[in-house]
Amino acid sequence: MAAELESSKCLSGLLSGLAQDTFYGHPGITEELLRSQLYPEVSLEEFRPFLAKMKGILKSIASADMDFNQLEAFLTAQTKKQGGITSEQAAVISKFWKSHKTKIRESLMNQSCWDRGLRGLSWRVDGKSQSRHSAQIHTPVAIMELEIGRSGQIFLDLRWDCDLITFIAHCKLKIS
Amino acid sequence: MVGTLNRAMEESSEPQLDAKSKVTNQLIDFQWKLGMAVSSDSCRSLKYPYVAVMLKVADHSGQVKNKSFEMTIPQFQNFYRQFKEIAAIIETV
Repeated sequence: MAAELESSKCLSGLLSGLAQDTFYGHPGITEELLRSQLYPEVSLEEFRPFLAKMKGILKSIASADMDFNQLEAFLTAQTKKQGGITSEQAAVISKFWKSHKTKIRESLMNQSCWDRGLRGLSWRVDGKSQSRHSAQIHTPVAIMELEIGRSGQIFLDLRWDCDLITFIAHCKLKIS
Repeated sequence: MVGTLNRAMEESSEPQLDAKSKVTNQLIDFQWKLGMAVSSDSCRSLKYPYVAVMLKVADHSGQVKNKSFEMTIPQFQNFYRQFKEIAAIIETV
């Protein structure tokens, strides 16, 4: 294995790039980009399996939502494996997971709601208005736009006689 | 001239976001459940609590349909806060 790959200098950057691609869904983080930015002296043939190994380790840790004991046991096992990681690399990975765990977990949760997640919510309150046909078109009403999933959208016309606020308050009491 | 302009605006085919428009749906019912996603194909240990909501809405033609979506707990808390804000504003309008 190339000496550059053994060193843990750029590993933190590599893990960030992997997280961007695997968990946060940022496009364009190719293996060539990571190689040229972080390990320019290493050939693509040597870099590829190294990247796959680190990706596998990061995915295993995230998938199992490892606590610090599990993490230590897991990484120690990786250092003892043939073709595994060095103890310096284990330390970098451990540090990375500790600081990024919450954000990665959040991304995994967002990914798991597929196309049914609430992506956006905006609203407007329309006041009383008039036209030359009628004295009052409508009384105050709230219009809410919900963006659901990647392409779904629904506009709601909320009348206050449906007592929605009570439903929501009831829901909140049960949850918190 | 002004009369013609007003008529043109009222007959415009642009979707107007008002209570009688073809774009908004009337909310008829709101159902919810609190769930816990335990595991998935991409994440073995998910442990993700979520609020699933089912809205029953009627469109401009009166046709009733269901719309469902999910929220994380922080998203739900924000959802609740937004409704409280709307309620407060509607009182004053």
